[in-house]
Amino acid sequence: MSRKPQPSLSTYHPAQLLVPVIWVVLLALAVVAMPATEAVFRWLAPDARQVIYQRADFITLLGRHLFVVGVAALFTVSVGLLAGVAVTRQWGRDFLPLATQVASMGQTFPPVAVLALAVPALGFGTLPIIVALVLYGLLPIVRNTIAGLKDVDLATISSARGMGMTDGQILRQVELPLAAPVILAGVRTSITINIATAALGSTVGASNLGDPIIAGIINTNMAYVVQGALVIALLALSVDSFFEVLQRRLRSHTA
Amino acid sequence: MIELRNVYKYFDDTVAVDDVSLSVPKGKFCALVGTSGCGKSTTLRMINRLLAHSEGEILLDEQAISDYDPVLLRRRIGYVIQNTGLFPHWNVARNIGLVPRLLKWPASQVRQRVEELMQLLGLPVGEFANKYPHQLSGGQAQRVGVARALAADPDILLMDEPFGALDPITREKLQEMLMQLQARLHKTIVFVTHDMDEALRLADHLVVMRAGKVIQQGTPLSLLQKPADAFVDSLLGGLERGLKQASLTRVKDHMAPLGPTLPAQSRIPARYTLRQALSMMLRDHSERLTVVDQHDMPVGELSLRKLVKEAHSSEQGSSRES
Repeated sequence: MSRKPQPSLSTYHPAQLLVPVIWVVLLALAVVAMPATEAVFRWLAPDARQVIYQRADFITLLGRHLFVVGVAALFTVSVGLLAGVAVTRQWGRDFLPLATQVASMGQTFPPVAVLALAVPALGFGTLPIIVALVLYGLLPIVRNTIAGLKDVDLATISSARGMGMTDGQILRQVELPLAAPVILAGVRTSITINIATAALGSTVGASNLGDPIIAGIINTNMAYVVQGALVIALLALSVDSFFEVLQRRLRSHTA
Repeated sequence: MIELRNVYKYFDDTVAVDDVSLSVPKGKFCALVGTSGCGKSTTLRMINRLLAHSEGEILLDEQAISDYDPVLLRRRIGYVIQNTGLFPHWNVARNIGLVPRLLKWPASQVRQRVEELMQLLGLPVGEFANKYPHQLSGGQAQRVGVARALAADPDILLMDEPFGALDPITREKLQEMLMQLQARLHKTIVFVTHDMDEALRLADHLVVMRAGKVIQQGTPLSLLQKPADAFVDSLLGGLERGLKQASLTRVKDHMAPLGPTLPAQSRIPARYTLRQALSMMLRDHSERLTVVDQHDMPVGELSLRKLVKEAHSSEQGSSRES
């Protein structure tokens, strides 16, 4: 059928985009206008020589932060999805416990420890933090992919097969779309926590929005810490609220 | 034409289907009846290879189903299940068009076919095409399920307790609809149900199963007249059997020409069933009814005494045959 399901007016509304747009505007404001807020931050750190972090401008730091989180997300989403799909197939079912165990181990292992172990092997820089983020962000995606796929009604799959769909068609046209809201929730969790976790990268020489925080801790400059934390929080809220809109749109058809 | 020859299905150590043989000629309606767990659904699911049979032969138009590619085989067979199995993320039109799309029909032809089927099943296109399954009532959803099964015009329909989850009134409506469809389309249907009344009403051929075995098969009337054992008898309703048989028989097949006596007050159309006639006799305290045609003109009469005598002689007749 050439007609695609159209989101009806009652379920989709441009106003839903309002919240993420507000967060993005706030984030942009914070990044661009940070130097202009010196008076406010002076109050937080009255004795410091400088109150606005200036070793790199916030736009650059934000860009590096997004890059690290983005590269990690690319890996976690593709590896997590593939693993989740593989272990729910007939031929991969034996690996189901193994996959969940490996993914949970990745999350129980603190990212700081991963960094400590990764630096000797990979050297300082961006690579160890990406590895840590990948390991840390894998579990929510693997777990939700498995849960989402297992939740699909067996009668629906059986009728799809009875209609003459191939395994690939069932996966692409039935299982994945039906599991999508749950999978997306996993991706959302993974990326949101990784936005915060990525700040650790600053300790191993990966410059990003963690820099002001680390510098602030070292120099006991509260203003730096708050600036870094504020931008990271706004970034996390922006991304999270976009996922919220996406999820609501996905759910509207399968209520 | 569907044929099962000495078919067995084993699950590990248990025998789910035990030496089942049956054949459904083209255009006939066969019902598999039995209590739950008797192997009727398993038997059905072996026909479209959702389950592989362990032993024996299953033939479709005289060719073993193992010779077909399972995916292509299933696209040739309509399949309806109890909880519809509709895709919740697709609207009605897209659900119905599934198999034609799998068969790579051009989009315009798919759309035309979907609209045709929606009309056939009493689902106004404007109202339902863009609805999602969760917006439909049980009866509407199952109409969509039947439309989807018929979409690519398969010769064969497999129906696995399709009306089992519906309330009695909706169920009866859909049974009526299925009978009308079948009168027009002449599909070869295998229909699984645990509801004997449904089976008696719809089927040309009844297959009673228990513990994986076929206990008895034949026309509904032949089973009603001579159930093989106490189990079949109880499935057929025991004491109610006589009435069930009466509900499969038309008044016009039992009426006598109008006699010289005064015609009875109570009138019954000739197309009604004997069961309705008996009910009317009880209601009106009348041993005789006047049978009328569609213009309400008397064409014959029905007498209780004669009916009882006929039933007696036909039972003797059938026992002599067997």
